[in-house]
Amino acid sequence: MKETPHYHAIHITKDKCVGCVHCMTVCPTKAIRVKDGKARIIDEYCIDCGECLRFCPYDAVHSHTTSFAALDAFAYKVAIPSTVIYGQFGSTTLPNEILSALRRIGFDEVYDPSAICELNTAAIEEYLNEHPQPRPFITSTCPVVVRLIQRRYPALCRQILPIEPPREIAAKILRAILPKALHLPPEKIGIIHLTPCPAKMVSINSPATLEKSYLDGAISIRDIYPQVLNSLRKSQDDALMRHLFPETLFSGIGMGWSLSGGETRGFKNHRAVAVSGVQDTMRVLDQVEAGLLQDIDLLECTVCPDGCVGGPLQVENRFLAKSRILQLVDAAGDRAVIDHKDMSRLYHKNFLSFDHPVAPVETPPLDRDPVRAILKAKRREKLIAKLPRKDCGACGAPDCRTLADDIVRGLARLADCPFVEKEKR
Amino acid sequence: MAGDAVFRQEFPVKGGDFAKAGAVACRIKDLLKELGLDAPIVRRAAIASYEAEMNVIMYAWEGRVKLAVSPGEVRITVDDKGPGIPDVDLAMTEGYSTATPEMRELGFGAGMGLPNIRKNADAFRIESWAGRGTHLEITIHTNGHQL
Repeated sequence: MKETPHYHAIHITKDKCVGCVHCMTVCPTKAIRVKDGKARIIDEYCIDCGECLRFCPYDAVHSHTTSFAALDAFAYKVAIPSTVIYGQFGSTTLPNEILSALRRIGFDEVYDPSAICELNTAAIEEYLNEHPQPRPFITSTCPVVVRLIQRRYPALCRQILPIEPPREIAAKILRAILPKALHLPPEKIGIIHLTPCPAKMVSINSPATLEKSYLDGAISIRDIYPQVLNSLRKSQDDALMRHLFPETLFSGIGMGWSLSGGETRGFKNHRAVAVSGVQDTMRVLDQVEAGLLQDIDLLECTVCPDGCVGGPLQVENRFLAKSRILQLVDAAGDRAVIDHKDMSRLYHKNFLSFDHPVAPVETPPLDRDPVRAILKAKRREKLIAKLPRKDCGACGAPDCRTLADDIVRGLARLADCPFVEKEKR
Repeated sequence: MAGDAVFRQEFPVKGGDFAKAGAVACRIKDLLKELGLDAPIVRRAAIASYEAEMNVIMYAWEGRVKLAVSPGEVRITVDDKGPGIPDVDLAMTEGYSTATPEMRELGFGAGMGLPNIRKNADAFRIESWAGRGTHLEITIHTNGHQL
């Protein structure tokens, strides 16, 4: 599927929305307005970061992810969880128990992602070796970062490192192998990501770099959590067996991928810098766009605080989840489970690469005609001078400047500002 | 009417204000995007204005960055009150820098500032008066800007 730029996984539930300004003021791309007492998302500006989902006090922002019931359409159900899931169930539950609980609740097979994460780290390093320019490259793991760059930093599209993230590569490998191994037609096999954020759903339904995603959907960790917890509680004996006879060898290099800095922890010869949080990511991308940070090989950006472990659809307190994953990283040490030759073979067959580069997505200018755009910018400055600069949001725009912008674009009126009205009276 | 079609904005820059480094360049970049200029033009203007802004922050006492956008060109003018540049030709050499060790530690002062501005501008004029200040004029044509 070609990218349909305005598909979103985040929506406002009108019945629950009270028309306050919480979501609007935290939106990093100013994509929300409150009109007629309800918040509304402007599709062109939304990057599915989930900040609104995090901050809404009325649970009125919901994300669209795959339901567990929808998997019944498949004869064989495969789960590829994010490594975030290993941090969700306390400090004594081992990854193997979690994978096994997922099998018990209805998945036919569950694959540990840490090995594929290690494969990715190695492939990224190979790519950097072969491409001395430009610098810095930016990782594509976080779909929000890709969408942010497409819209706000179009000139940086060419700096996105064109290796698919682990979830897609894992699904691509399984899609190639499983139909033959199981003697099932490919469409009968459902490959599902278990996700800590709604943005993965966007990258599946509207991929920026693939013709079609290799995944069939993404189930929110939050949705599946109660069933997994329940299954873990019921299986103490099973847990003992998993402790004594571990069946999956986890990669020490891949285990920490969901923590900020985890993608590049296994780097040997390159300088990588990890940035997390949407505001900080924007600050650093501003610097890259000004031509800075060229002495850095790779910028790992994730818009959730502390990396995917801070995703809005995970359950555990993120600091505890992070501490648990760090424990697991320590326990696995530097253990590598991937043969470098396998990686190299897949890499040189372009098996790990994007189908096509990331293309900029235009955000509408003030006007398509340059003269009119300039006149509108001048009018906007005059309007800003008239506004109270309280950025209160009462007008339905997140701040006074945005109200002025909306006015010159014909989307709002000066009378929407309650302070301006008062003065007139 | 054509005379009206110039968008102007001025931004003050304070010498030594490293905490705000890049803020003006960033605002200029956003404005140019909103005006509908092509991404490569915006990027060149962002890089040139960033370097110019940094020169004021690093060496001058205070300065003003003036942006003027007309349908045909982006002009960025920077005037600062500061020590000036004694030998402009030398300062235009790649790698030449008078940055202090502290500035270098922060990653600034690689001696690429003025050459980088020239590289990204279609026209570049610099005048400097020792002990008084420096005047920069950066022009970038928007030819690619066919809307």
